[in-house]
Amino acid sequence: MKPLNIVGSRVIRVDGKAKVKGEAIYPQDIYLDGMLYGKTIRSTKVHAMIEVDTKKAETVEGVVKILTYKDVTGENHHGVVFKDHEVFCSKKVRRIGDPIAFVIANSERVAKKAAEMIEIKYKELPAVFNPIDAMKEDSIKIHGDSNIIYHYKCRKGNVNEGFEKSHVIVEREYKTSMVEHAFLQPEAGVSYIDEEGKICVCASTQYPHFDQIEVAEALGLKLENVKIMNPAVGGAFGGREDITLQIHLALATMVTKKPVKVVYTREESFHAHSKRHPIIMKYKTGADKNGKLLSMEVNLIGDTGSYASWAINVMRKAGIHATGPYEIPNVKIDSYAVYTNNPFCGAMRGFGATQTPIGSEQQMDIIANELGIDPIQIRLINGFKVGSETSNGQVLSESVPLKRCIEEVKNRMFKE
Amino acid sequence: MNHISLTINKKMYSIDVEEDVRLIDLLRDQLFLTGTKEGCGEGECGACTVIMDGRVVNSCLVMAFQAEGSNITTIEGMSDKDELHPIQKAFLDKGAVQCGFCTPGMVLSAKSLLDKNENPTREEIREGISGNLCRCTGYNKIVDAIELASKEIREEKKE
Ligand code: FES
Ligand code: FES
Repeated sequence: MKPLNIVGSRVIRVDGKAKVKGEAIYPQDIYLDGMLYGKTIRSTKVHAMIEVDTKKAETVEGVVKILTYKDVTGENHHGVVFKDHEVFCSKKVRRIGDPIAFVIANSERVAKKAAEMIEIKYKELPAVFNPIDAMKEDSIKIHGDSNIIYHYKCRKGNVNEGFEKSHVIVEREYKTSMVEHAFLQPEAGVSYIDEEGKICVCASTQYPHFDQIEVAEALGLKLENVKIMNPAVGGAFGGREDITLQIHLALATMVTKKPVKVVYTREESFHAHSKRHPIIMKYKTGADKNGKLLSMEVNLIGDTGSYASWAINVMRKAGIHATGPYEIPNVKIDSYAVYTNNPFCGAMRGFGATQTPIGSEQQMDIIANELGIDPIQIRLINGFKVGSETSNGQVLSESVPLKRCIEEVKNRMFKE
Repeated sequence: MNHISLTINKKMYSIDVEEDVRLIDLLRDQLFLTGTKEGCGEGECGACTVIMDGRVVNSCLVMAFQAEGSNITTIEGMSDKDELHPIQKAFLDKGAVQCGFCTPGMVLSAKSLLDKNENPTREEIREGISGNLCRCTGYNKIVDAIELASKEIREEKKE
């Protein structure tokens, strides 16, 4: 094999120089001639039927057009797995921050002023915020006829037998909270029509190829007539996996035939993108006298809020990782994703695998404590090694340096 | 409308600004100095940091008319076209740049710190960048970079 040029050597990142000099171009740094500005109007209610009146706002001088669901030329929907988001809410809002309309004006100032003049009549509906309540048959429904959108089941061995043999059984409940990515660059974008007549959108995104499909579908255009460009991305952490402003901009340019720019404030950014799923975790773990894990039963309820985004993938991953990196012969895991009227949840750093250690690792500490074993020791006893089988039956055939890592940390932490 | 005169990156400007325009808007929207970034618009993140009369300020909290007569350095004034200031070079060498959105503000805060204290402790460096948020790096590499830059600058002076 030829020696590698990049791997193993120190290289300066390709975009590094532009970034330290302030020359890297993020979407908000793009200014085009004759550019119009957009402002999104969002729901202020958690769950309501809506009626939108844009007449007054349209009379503001400098307003070019106000887009609502009526202006969507293709499918009024998007979503990475389920198409459960509307580009603009047609009848109903399901969360605070749902997009309802988009003002296009010749300045940001005018767009903001007109946005305030759009009249929205809300007829409020009962709402549900607790995923456990939302799972009940008689709960109000967010979409369709069940709020449970996913149930991952993992069964290995026989948990009851495992618990019968256990010397110690620990049962606890853990909850994690919703987390915001707060990437430093708020969403922004610019759209225009290029020389070939294609609709172009520049936006910081994690999925230009997905965005292209979603924009084309919402506008009713062929895929090749939509271009998505990804200038510098100011952090993402999963928060730029769903559509935010891409379709609004593309539609605005298609309707006005002009370049359009939109820059979200920090507050709007909070409303616009997903969050990390909060998970309610019930853990029951059994071990023998020596601290060897024998059985584990886990129930995970992930609140995906008002839209599914990556809920299925996130809660599957949470389920798969629920045991932590430990060998357990008997496992029963149920992991659910549930709709509520909360902000919607999707990808965020770890994709479900970040939440479960809050439960699985505390279980380990409690078991160690009850058995009078050192908490590091119990991890060394049970930790994955080459040849281990995970809860979902994967045999780890190579590179599992967990024990080496734990020992290294231990040596450095407790070095005299 | 106000008419103001100020110096930005050693260049004199004489320019009309509306009453409600902030310094960051003047820099970005009127002068297209887009290296200055807006992360929050309320003085929390430091992405909009510029050096004004020798002090770091959040340009989102300064009104443009308040900059009358001032001397401002933005990231564009840190180094000439293809050159890098030792701080910028150290940021690259130490891997202190990820998404880069905090970087211009960080570099300017570092400059302002090293202008006043050419051999800061790590503690003093942390204090010096305490007004700048970074969501990507975890700060350690930024501190390493500023430490390295301070060493380089001191050595340069000796020569
Ligand atoms: S944009 Fe000025 S401090 Fe954040
Ligand atoms: S490098 Fe992304 S915020 Fe600092």
